[in-house]
Amino acid sequence: MKKTTKYLVLFLFTMLVTFVLAACSDSGDDTATNDNNSDSDNGETATEEKVKLTIGSWRTEDVAKYEKVIALFNETNPDIEVEFSPTKNTEYNTVLNTALQAGEGPDIFHLRPYAAGLKLADAGFVEPITDINGLDTFSEDYLAASKGADGEQYGVPLNISSTQFFYNKKIFADQGLEVPTTWDEFIEVNEKLLKADITPIAMGTKEGWLLSLSHGIVGAGVLDGNAFAEKLVTGETDFSDPAFVESIEAMNDLKKYFPANSEGLGMDDIRTIFAMEQAAMFPLGSWEIPVVSELNPDLDYGFFPMPSKTGNQSVTTWVDGSFAINAKSKNIDAAKTFLEFLTTKEFGELFVDEFKMISAIPGITSDDELLSELSKTVESSSTPYYWVINFVSGDPTTKTVLETELQGMYLGEVTPAEVAQRVQENAETSFEPFK
Amino acid sequence: MKNSSMWSKPFYYVIVFAVATISLYPIFLMFLSSFKTSAEIFKDPLGLPTKFTLDTYRTLMSKIPFDQYFMNSVIVSVTSVVLVVVFCSLAAYYIARFKFSWNNAIFFLFLLGMMIPIKLGIVPLFILMRDLGLINSLWSLIFMNIATGTPLTMLILTGFFKTMPMELEEAARMDGAGNLRVLWSVLLPLMRPALGTVVIVNFISAWNDFFFPLIFITEKAKMTIPVGMLSLFGEHSADWGSLFAGLTLASLPMMILFFIASKQFMEGLTAGAVK
Amino acid sequence: MMTTVQTASKKKGRKIGKSWTIHLFPIPALIIYGLFVLYPILAALSYSFYSFNGFSRESFVGFDNFVTLFTTEPYGSMFVNAFKHNILYFALQMVAMNGLAFILAFIIYKKVKGAEFFKIAFFLPRLLSVIVVGFLWKLILNPNFGTLNMLLGKLGLEELQRAWLGDPNTALISIILVNCWFGLGFGVLIFLAGFQSIPGELIEAAKLDGAKGMTMLRKIYLPLMVPSIMIMTVLTFIQSFEAFELVYAMQGSMGEPYYSTDTLAVFFYRLAFGSSTSGSSDALGVGSALAAVLFLFILICTMIFLKFTNKKEVEM
Repeated sequence: MKKTTKYLVLFLFTMLVTFVLAACSDSGDDTATNDNNSDSDNGETATEEKVKLTIGSWRTEDVAKYEKVIALFNETNPDIEVEFSPTKNTEYNTVLNTALQAGEGPDIFHLRPYAAGLKLADAGFVEPITDINGLDTFSEDYLAASKGADGEQYGVPLNISSTQFFYNKKIFADQGLEVPTTWDEFIEVNEKLLKADITPIAMGTKEGWLLSLSHGIVGAGVLDGNAFAEKLVTGETDFSDPAFVESIEAMNDLKKYFPANSEGLGMDDIRTIFAMEQAAMFPLGSWEIPVVSELNPDLDYGFFPMPSKTGNQSVTTWVDGSFAINAKSKNIDAAKTFLEFLTTKEFGELFVDEFKMISAIPGITSDDELLSELSKTVESSSTPYYWVINFVSGDPTTKTVLETELQGMYLGEVTPAEVAQRVQENAETSFEPFK
Repeated sequence: MKNSSMWSKPFYYVIVFAVATISLYPIFLMFLSSFKTSAEIFKDPLGLPTKFTLDTYRTLMSKIPFDQYFMNSVIVSVTSVVLVVVFCSLAAYYIARFKFSWNNAIFFLFLLGMMIPIKLGIVPLFILMRDLGLINSLWSLIFMNIATGTPLTMLILTGFFKTMPMELEEAARMDGAGNLRVLWSVLLPLMRPALGTVVIVNFISAWNDFFFPLIFITEKAKMTIPVGMLSLFGEHSADWGSLFAGLTLASLPMMILFFIASKQFMEGLTAGAVK
Repeated sequence: MMTTVQTASKKKGRKIGKSWTIHLFPIPALIIYGLFVLYPILAALSYSFYSFNGFSRESFVGFDNFVTLFTTEPYGSMFVNAFKHNILYFALQMVAMNGLAFILAFIIYKKVKGAEFFKIAFFLPRLLSVIVVGFLWKLILNPNFGTLNMLLGKLGLEELQRAWLGDPNTALISIILVNCWFGLGFGVLIFLAGFQSIPGELIEAAKLDGAKGMTMLRKIYLPLMVPSIMIMTVLTFIQSFEAFELVYAMQGSMGEPYYSTDTLAVFFYRLAFGSSTSGSSDALGVGSALAAVLFLFILICTMIFLKFTNKKEVEM
């Protein structure tokens, strides 16, 4: 007993000493950081020429890549220091919103696309940037992702995400399969794979957000992509349309092509399954390209646009976030300079090369074959991902209702017709054209 | 006397061993996996590592300023624990010993804190921290740890103080000791078990807290281990080996502290908490 | 005799011991606690009386948010659903965690060799961060690569294999059991303390009277263990109804799959902070109302329980 007491005391004492030493340097650090930190109340830049900007985002995967972006930016703007400080995706909103509500937060932050991000603009947290240079680089559709109801532009679109089926070229070749160009061919491919004892689709239903994403793909296959989307968005048709119900049924029918225990598989699991070549196809977003390639650099895979019953082929796209300026930032001019940099072709090229994602700036090509092909398809045959673009209002959002009800459907607790009905009910309370 | 109970010793051992195995297995898994490469983890998630590689740890240390996170965690945890023990000893002594009419009210007020979901108050808290200039300061975390640790600490310490015999105090007072001296020299040494308990309970919660560091600390240099680990999940999700190395390193300090102080801690619960 | 000493010291105490400085003692703790816990909570609870449009606080609406919480869909049914889950949480933890802890403590009390090892083994999980716990168990429970299903397979029990966290029937129970794994050690230590504080003479006397097995349990052990049983019950009750961190770590804030793992605290988090897709809360007022309701519920139940067991203790 005496011995352990001694150890305990020694341990605490060591810690205490460490604390005392560090506390002294800690307060030293505090003042130093307060001088540099442009967020603090007394951060005067009078004596210093350098301005420091912080960027908040949910893209923790991109830390190393942003260092290159900042380096490029500093070539033309050496006086502006920039730091990229992301927060994990699941906690990003909580952290950001809390800070914004208290009048704090990073100078620049990654705005969630469409209504989700515009809520922040409505609350007055975002600085309008309608007057900055370079906005004309982007198409109206892309700018709409961060354009407020008041007509002001609030963000610079960063990248386009698309969702489509990736497929394992080797498995297809081994099985003598061709990329499907019609819906029936698509089903046929699945059947053949199933008979050959290969899991056709790497898909899991444990995480709701994957379900709206895959409906983005499959839906476009059943419905007539753009035609339906246009009617839906203007209110000409709604979710009670039998065609929509059919798309839900189609999603249900695909279940037999999922791996065993798909209700227990999440994002990490299905990505691993596809990367380890245990399934032939993978319905996910373009942002997966760098991740899958890192997981298995030898994987030979491609994508195909979703063939529809009417003969069209499309990939579903949307702007996946914009960069916006904190209305309470102390360095709005510097931040605007950075945002202008984001509209330049130089940035676009660096972005595509490093991040392996599709830039919102038109006409950027990439060395990566897969990405290049995808970009071209995005420009030629895309259909809007209306779940994110139009249906993220309400509490819960219509998109959320779709996700949870689809989950229930895959668990056998809800019928496709009920899914459509509940989505419709929610949309009627929150989507203007339906009211 | 015949063995009167229907349960015999071997049966006891089976149960206890089974539960101990289940208790230890996940920790064991984490520890072992930290020595495997990512590829090994995929191919043989449950097997032993073929060669114990420290590469995972090296990669981890190079990717993440782990030493900084560690330093911050130590500073926050130690300060929080020391201060909560000091402040609550004073307050508990007061409540246990001196019968003023407002004693029970104060005690009840402290207990209230155990039932409150503190996350609810995060926006007013954030504003408060900002007004005090404590955003991105380790002191924001220290104050939060003290405040949230107070209820349970008060519960344990007050109960313990009540069991202390009055005679020692009387003797000290008659020798002319003032209140603080009585507390410091006479009572606290006797309270070692309870203090051990309080130290460990508060240390665990301070060390492992991720919510407040997440909200109040945005500068990487000031982050603590749990928050640093969260980014590990996002940034390096493909590198499972390093992930496990990170988890192991994050958990190790707590375990070491526990091994050293376990006897104290368990005696503390044994002797005083059951009041 | 004790009283005489006390009265004597009281008289002396007034002169020597009790200087006014004693009143300063509780002040530091009170200040920090009051400033950083009480004040923010009161401020936030006041939100429940206002309506919110996104982030902006609008007008005072009295009890409207409370009414909305219970009567408007989907809040009403989400509340009931989550509440039921919290009750299950409490019940299962009482049995699988406290019940098991009681048994384990008893076994250790009966002098099993290696008691120290077992005590440490049971308590070790408690040292881990909840994020680590959630992550490790998600791996173990993974339907296709996880230890549990692999083990069942090797034992020839394939029918028992399932998607533990994906099946709404098993998801919540799995999480609760993980929580039991996490908290077991604490209960063992508390109960062990309780057993060890039973005076040896009582046990001897009972044995001499011929008591054994069940009688010993009912007449001696259980009544004398009431204090520790009471502590564990109260702490478990509070923890069960505030269950958030582990559920969040394992299943996120949506209570997936299909709301089967939704608890009141997770529901609150979703209302107050939104989910990663919705970007922000639409219902901060309703969320605050939920927190107020939750807090009051825990408070009232705890007080009733304490009053009730105090009476019982006196009776003994």
